[in-house]
Amino acid sequence: MLFVLAVIQFIQPDRNQSGQAAILDISRIYPVPESVQGILRESCYDCHSDNTRYPWYSFSQPAAWWVSSHIRKGKSELNFNQFGSYSARRQRSKLKSIASSIKDPTMPLPSYTLIHRNALLSAKDRQLILQWTAKMISRSPNK
Amino acid sequence: MKKIIFSMAASILWLAACTSGKKTTSAAKASDSALTSVVVAKPIGKAPTEALINAYLQLKNALTKDNDNEAAEAGKSLVLAITIIDKNALNAEQSKAFSDIADDAKEHAEHISASEGNINHQREHFETLSQDIYELVKIESTPGRKLYFDHCPMYNQGKGGNWISETKDIHNPYLGKAMPDCGRMIEEFN
Repeated sequence: MLFVLAVIQFIQPDRNQSGQAAILDISRIYPVPESVQGILRESCYDCHSDNTRYPWYSFSQPAAWWVSSHIRKGKSELNFNQFGSYSARRQRSKLKSIASSIKDPTMPLPSYTLIHRNALLSAKDRQLILQWTAKMISRSPNK
Repeated sequence: MKKIIFSMAASILWLAACTSGKKTTSAAKASDSALTSVVVAKPIGKAPTEALINAYLQLKNALTKDNDNEAAEAGKSLVLAITIIDKNALNAEQSKAFSDIADDAKEHAEHISASEGNINHQREHFETLSQDIYELVKIESTPGRKLYFDHCPMYNQGKGGNWISETKDIHNPYLGKAMPDCGRMIEEFN
């Protein structure tokens, strides 16, 4: 068992860090106020962008696999850095889904906020996001 | 020791057999519905979007009955119908509408099929999905079929929700059995 644990430490999944300027980022398509951008970065971008701030334990296996599978799934659902690659219709759907996951509230995941205490959203944060998404949905064409 | 290893191996085999058995049934089911969808989609004279609309209506009817399992199944059929649609059979206007909605509608259908046990979430996706399907239905002439566009003003805390129905009577997919006849028809397609 110990041996297996030792061996898998050397099998590390690829890191989610593009380091490139995100030309398709949501902030290039929609106006994102500073306050909203701050919340997105702190609470969403680790799993929903091309750049994760990795915690120390994510370098130890098997946690690394677990973390990387979460990031893969999160990005496939919604990637703020690639928002511009979605069709207009899909962007609108994503904004709606962001709003409902914030309202319900299913996001950010409890397993994430358990460790990332800063990512917890206050009632005011949620309010800000909801107001912003509502505004963006209403201004997008052919609603 | 040998015995233990043997019994472990046997139980692993047994477990593997069980899970793969399950998989085959669901795979068989999937290919069954694939077959029926293909059969439905192919015959000459039928609209190329027929299988897609049928799957949507099946989903809508499951939601009117508050049945999340059936909704998930219908979601799966819808994903399939979107994937295998015969794009060459669409006219220019349909083709444009289809390519506009396809990725979005497919994603909603996928979410619905993966959200068994969470009918509220299924309905959230159904609301946007209905808007997608509307884009397709409103330009298409469906031979021998009448469809209706209905509106429920109460859904989502008064924000409302629309759906497409094959019946003139209202059967509300958002409120289900709680308020089956809430809503009104706002458009008719011939």
